[in-house]
Amino acid sequence: MDRRTFMKRGLFGGGLLLLGGTGLALTPTRASVALPGALRVLSPRTFQIVAAIARRVVVAPDADAATIALAVDGALTRLPVEAQEDVNKLILLFENALGGLLLDGRALPFTRLSPEAQDHVLERWRDSRFVVRRTGYQALRKLCLASHYASPASWASLPFPEPTPVHEPYDDSTMGTPEWSRAHGVEGPL
Amino acid sequence: MSKLSLVRESARLIDGSQASADAAYEADVCIVGSGAGGAVTAAVLAAAGIDVLVVEEGGYFDAKDFTMRELDVAPKLYQDAMQRTTADNGITVLQGRAVGGTTVVNWTTSFRTPEDVVARWKERHGVSGFAYADLVPHYEAIEARLGIHEVTVESMNANNRTLYDGCKAMGWSAEPLRRNVVACLQTGQCGLGCPVNAKRSMLVTMIPDALDRGARVLHHARVDVLEASSGQVRRARASLLGADGKTPLGRSATIKAKTFILSGGAINSPAVLLRSGMSDNGKVGVRTFLHPVIASLGLYDHPIDPYAGAPQSAASHHWKDRGGDVGVFFEAAPAYPAMSAAALPGFGQAHREAFSHIRTTATHIALSIDGFHDGAPGGTVSLRPSGAPILDYPITPALWESFRFSQKRLAEAQFKSGARRVMTLHDPPLFLDRPEDTGAIDALRWETGALSVFTAHQMGGCAMGDDPSSSVVRSADLRHHTLQNLHVIDGSVFPTSLGVNPQESIYGLAHLMATRLAARLTG
Repeated sequence: MDRRTFMKRGLFGGGLLLLGGTGLALTPTRASVALPGALRVLSPRTFQIVAAIARRVVVAPDADAATIALAVDGALTRLPVEAQEDVNKLILLFENALGGLLLDGRALPFTRLSPEAQDHVLERWRDSRFVVRRTGYQALRKLCLASHYASPASWASLPFPEPTPVHEPYDDSTMGTPEWSRAHGVEGPL
Repeated sequence: MSKLSLVRESARLIDGSQASADAAYEADVCIVGSGAGGAVTAAVLAAAGIDVLVVEEGGYFDAKDFTMRELDVAPKLYQDAMQRTTADNGITVLQGRAVGGTTVVNWTTSFRTPEDVVARWKERHGVSGFAYADLVPHYEAIEARLGIHEVTVESMNANNRTLYDGCKAMGWSAEPLRRNVVACLQTGQCGLGCPVNAKRSMLVTMIPDALDRGARVLHHARVDVLEASSGQVRRARASLLGADGKTPLGRSATIKAKTFILSGGAINSPAVLLRSGMSDNGKVGVRTFLHPVIASLGLYDHPIDPYAGAPQSAASHHWKDRGGDVGVFFEAAPAYPAMSAAALPGFGQAHREAFSHIRTTATHIALSIDGFHDGAPGGTVSLRPSGAPILDYPITPALWESFRFSQKRLAEAQFKSGARRVMTLHDPPLFLDRPEDTGAIDALRWETGALSVFTAHQMGGCAMGDDPSSSVVRSADLRHHTLQNLHVIDGSVFPTSLGVNPQESIYGLAHLMATRLAARLTG
């Protein structure tokens, strides 16, 4: 999520960002998982929020909220630093009870809601008339899903088979040589 | 060296992440970027005896690194580990980042630039420096070296065959694709780096060719700025990156050269110019054009196994010309676990349910051909405070119309091909059980964030043309209009999108322009 985009989408979006970023909602985030040793992008608070989101988003036999949140933290290291900051702000905005009260009729942070109420928040963001909420929902949803299903640990329950290593008949000992090129009907090196 | 297995050991393949001090290099020609444009240019210039240094921000990885696991491969081979998006998060942007660039991860589809597109560029965008006939021998050279050939209908996997059959059944034109593969083992892993070197990417062709002829490739080195004076670029300054390919080591490389060539692609080449203060009065980084992609999922009663076999082997260009509306073309897309999971809509049990059918789900995609209509704004590349590029790409009403049109046509073709159910990638999705119901597609939300939109094709941003007031480089030699020793040779010079997958268009143009440049530099 980019701050410039928030501003471009109007004062409403920018105002919400400020609310989320400055933490006007005072109800603390509920911690439901043990913190790992070191986080690289997420804060301890946003880690807990991502774990709570992951618990509702990823339904799989082997899905573990803390593991997914840690994988999200790793994935975020690949983003530009500004995007990392914006994702942390987005997560706080998602958690924010004051914003939730104004837009979703909830008075508690996301992490303190029942599972059914959490699903309702996800749906409210999904169906929002504000583009920043729709794209924010998509960003958080995709981060959790991609982080879970990218992990080999998830593949025992994958609905399609694990990619099979190629053992043969692969031999690169002559690949690229003029002789190999002739044998395979392609032009050799320039 | 000509043995691929020895490329990794080449002394001319320099790993910037291993530098223990600041570094300085000199060369006749410095090429920034090693993808479709940079690698071809390097090979042609090196073959002419010119001293070439290629600078690449990504790392060098080869088949031994391509583990078919997104967790391993995405951070190595993709910009932002496959998480790059446009500024408003509306479009996911798949773009490569390694020695060999996007050619390492593309799906091998090979088209020459359509002849009518080249003619239009001349007529509408002042591109008079070459004609289609000038490109032909260069396409032929590339096709011979890269083993580009048409596949058979019989070899298509079910994902592509359902597209092909469905389009034919609708009475639309459809054709088998040409691919740059040799001895393909049909692993289906093109998008994660070919694990058996069957894909004839730049990694296994032009990069080894260039190294063989004396070129050097410095990787893990991100060019931050070009420094110019008196109408000449004097040097490039690069940050050397750590083994993660992202974190600066705190060490730099300075490259002095007589000629500089930007080949970083449609997002990164404009970014280098913008960071260098060379915005060219606002002409750099504007009119960036994508082929924005929406998808149609068909659920079948027989296996599709969309992860197996050539990812793309069929296409339909039946709807490429739609009069006053944005044209589209249709292809298929493979399934990789994380990519598919993220693309499928919904969360919780609904998502899991959709994912559970992936083995019998065909993914057909529509690519909108942006940039051919008056007033099509395209995108704009700008810089974040850190200097990283960001692409703002508004989805115009004309593009939304093309998405709606495509969603209906793709659904019709899926049903013709035997799908028992068709779904969109809206969130929540629309499920269609009968072809008569495609009218419901009009009632869907066609708004940013309401559905998944992707792109793997980035073009424009440093347009070529003969009028310096509307273009960045000259069309005859892709030389910058004012900086006399700077060229841009990559997809960023295209004045519009292409209407076809871009890799061969870049290869062919680069081969032509590098041949002309070599003649001038050695003449």
